[in-house]
Amino acid sequence: MAELEVKQKRLNGRGLFWTWSPRSEKEAGESIVRNLLLHWFPAKVTLKSLSWGYSLWLGTITAALFLILGITGVILMFLYVPSVERAYQSIKDIEYVVSFGWFIRAMHRNAAHLMVASAFLHMVRVFLTGAYKNGIGVGQNRPLNWIVGVVLLLITLLLSFTGYLLPWDQLAFWAITVGTNIAKSAPLVGEWIRFILLGGHEIEQNALIRFYVLHCFFLPSAVLILFSYHMWRIRKDGGLACVDNLVLSQKKEKVKDGIKSKTYSLLGLTTGRTVQVEATLLDEEKYTVNSVPFLIRRIGLVMLGTFIFVALISLFINAPLEEPANPNVTPNPAKAPWYFLWLQELVAITTIRIGGFVLNGAFIGGILIPGVLVLLLAIWPYFDKSSNLNTGVWFGKERIRQNIVFLVLCFFVILLIIIGTYMRGPNWEFYFPWEPWPEIPKKF
Amino acid sequence: MKLNRRNFLKTIGIGSLLVGLVGQLYTWIRSLFPNVSYESVRRVKLDEPDKIPDGVTFIDDIKAYIFREGKTFYAISAVCTHLGCTVKYVGLSKPKIVKIGGKEVEVKWEFHCPCHGSKFYGDGTNYAGPAPRPLDWVKVEISPEDGKLVLDLNKTVPQNYKLTV
Repeated sequence: MAELEVKQKRLNGRGLFWTWSPRSEKEAGESIVRNLLLHWFPAKVTLKSLSWGYSLWLGTITAALFLILGITGVILMFLYVPSVERAYQSIKDIEYVVSFGWFIRAMHRNAAHLMVASAFLHMVRVFLTGAYKNGIGVGQNRPLNWIVGVVLLLITLLLSFTGYLLPWDQLAFWAITVGTNIAKSAPLVGEWIRFILLGGHEIEQNALIRFYVLHCFFLPSAVLILFSYHMWRIRKDGGLACVDNLVLSQKKEKVKDGIKSKTYSLLGLTTGRTVQVEATLLDEEKYTVNSVPFLIRRIGLVMLGTFIFVALISLFINAPLEEPANPNVTPNPAKAPWYFLWLQELVAITTIRIGGFVLNGAFIGGILIPGVLVLLLAIWPYFDKSSNLNTGVWFGKERIRQNIVFLVLCFFVILLIIIGTYMRGPNWEFYFPWEPWPEIPKKF
Repeated sequence: MKLNRRNFLKTIGIGSLLVGLVGQLYTWIRSLFPNVSYESVRRVKLDEPDKIPDGVTFIDDIKAYIFREGKTFYAISAVCTHLGCTVKYVGLSKPKIVKIGGKEVEVKWEFHCPCHGSKFYGDGTNYAGPAPRPLDWVKVEISPEDGKLVLDLNKTVPQNYKLTV
């Protein structure tokens, strides 16, 4: 890794955050254990894991976006009133009356959109690099962490969904209408789920307060808990998957040289061998650097970059607010945000008629197809029988076919999103982007 | 495990604590199921029959179109049977003849759903888009107290339920 020059920097100097300064590598390792924040991270980290090109740092970006959402979200909680009478007005106040209210709301909204995108891209990266596969370490369970990641992606989508209906504008109202009716179309439990979600049969105050509590407390808590586990598992799985790959490729060289392997445990704490601590398997001098400062510095850089990026685009892209919710008039066309448009497209085209028997598209496109996709995604690591040489490499040779299938599925989702965004006009009819939409009379 | 006095008491003790916990859990969840609904009405009283305008009127409170043809009244729900958006009444410039259930019917207006593009003939029969079944018809009745027209969503009626006064 030429881009990182390994400098032996002396780790000294006490600061506000270090109660103790390490003087040797062993002490530097201990310092990690002694620091609450740092013991998410290993003492040493491979250059490959640090590189921009392997992980693209999408997970860190997602976490940074979640942090932005947490901060701006708490501020918005002081300004927003979750009541049917006042919700819309309070958002209007945030937009036009509160100092910098528009900016904070724009940051919250833009970060939310970006988080959906970055979590999705993170998943794509993990799939394409085969990073959900176990390598050679003892006690690895990367498939489990992949499942945790899938759940986190779903919760991110739920957070977006519960978030965009809080303003109680037209988008909000019709989104809950459609969303909860999709839930209702589930067999047997559907009616019941809709009732408990809305706290009744109609979309009124009970529904608003429920979505508010889900959005501000339950779902973020779930993210925090699962995210902590997600991070902890990375450590237990021996770091990023590219480390396994590095060790395997190095092993081949070493076997030629005939050097005996020596094993010691990290800091005398772990039992068994993990990939980083098998001394001869990974040439530490050659492939690793200290986490402090190299890993910490880069994480800080990515976080700062994300913050600045979101702040900058929020100056130009503001959060929209539609007309107040009106149960009698559905906007035409009524479109969900882009990350749900593929579902809207699916529910619109998947009603199946066989003779007199009709299956509602709400069930096929809203529950069955997404359900199958998510299930496939979750269990896929258990069907991937490629050898562990394909762990942690982009486009592994034995995984070409599954990578193509995965990309084709992703492409279809993106295609549906593009059709929904640019090619659906009034009454959800198809128009090419260059075709004008017909005038729709406001009154019937 | 041999059931001596110590173990017996221990099981009973911990067991009752657990039962207590399950009881609390039940109260937490049960409290989220409302017992009283403060939701808006599902039954709405309109004016006297002869004051209802001829043709079509949209009734906000229960999202339904009421139609008057002379002395005959009927109402069709505006809630799309696909995912619940409010369908729009679209008057046709030229009436068209369509086949509904084998019979030829003249259609002067249609209902279109803005969310996913379902389309319905004037009698609520779905003919395009993802809607799985026709629009619901709404019970129209005369209030026995003051003779005014009442629309009631709580009662289900078959398609083509019409009231003639």
